[in-house]
Amino acid sequence: MQLSTWAIPAIQTVHILALALLFTAALIVALRFWGKGLAVEPLHLLARRFIRTIWLLLVVLAVTGILLITAEPFRTISNPVFYLKMILLLVAVGITAWLSVVSSRQLDRVAAPHRIAAAFTMLLWIGIMFAGRFIAYYDPY
Amino acid sequence: MNFLEWLQNTSLAVAVGESWFPWVEAAHVVFLAAVAGTIFTVDARLMGFASKQMRISYLAQHMLPWTWAAFIGAVITGGLMFMANAVGYATKAPFLIKMGLLLGAGLNMVYFQLVTYRGVAGWDVGRPPAAARTAGFISMVCWIGVVAFGRWIGFV
Repeated sequence: MQLSTWAIPAIQTVHILALALLFTAALIVALRFWGKGLAVEPLHLLARRFIRTIWLLLVVLAVTGILLITAEPFRTISNPVFYLKMILLLVAVGITAWLSVVSSRQLDRVAAPHRIAAAFTMLLWIGIMFAGRFIAYYDPY
Repeated sequence: MNFLEWLQNTSLAVAVGESWFPWVEAAHVVFLAAVAGTIFTVDARLMGFASKQMRISYLAQHMLPWTWAAFIGAVITGGLMFMANAVGYATKAPFLIKMGLLLGAGLNMVYFQLVTYRGVAGWDVGRPPAAARTAGFISMVCWIGVVAFGRWIGFV
């Protein structure tokens, strides 16, 4: 696909804005699992509204991400960092889906494994952002 | 230009330029994501789009400490990247526009905090007044611009 010079930074900008919102939504959910942040809102309500936001933003990220791959396929398809990013993403999505189910049970207490998993997703999202930036720097040749 | 030349010849700037740059840039992305995301969350509430059932003062109180902590990280990592090519960045239009938008976002915030927010008790619940909605809108536009022109710096 032939794209004009401003198209790639423009798509990357939308990608970054969406990941900024996703990262913040994940932070709000993780903090809430620890009883912190926006703790005035019950966990199941807060998790429902922010995890729903996370799924929506992942769609935006997937669409803009696919456009970026299409624009520069060789940079991505042969790049191990891209596959590392996708593996981290799958783990983050899996844990988030699990936390969504856990929070919907409206338990009185959040168990330690859930809190730890919620904190771990933050490390995963940070790792995903690092991997995303490093796709541009890793030279497979 | 002498100061900028001196700056980019310091051993720290050379180290960033020669080896740390990708790590510093990736960390900058993480920090800016936290800055922009937390600000947009508050802006959306100010404009009356989201978190409508939550008090504005409560949301701001629990989001903005994260914004400031991440902003310090973004300034440090951004400063390190700037040092690596200070003379070059200082004359790039996207960099200068980004700094202008940061200034705009800052002035908007100062006016909001000192004037509009003083009356928050009257609209902490429900739909904010026009001044608060405008502040949220200006903030969002400025920060979208900061991200866009920031990304553009890497392309010129």
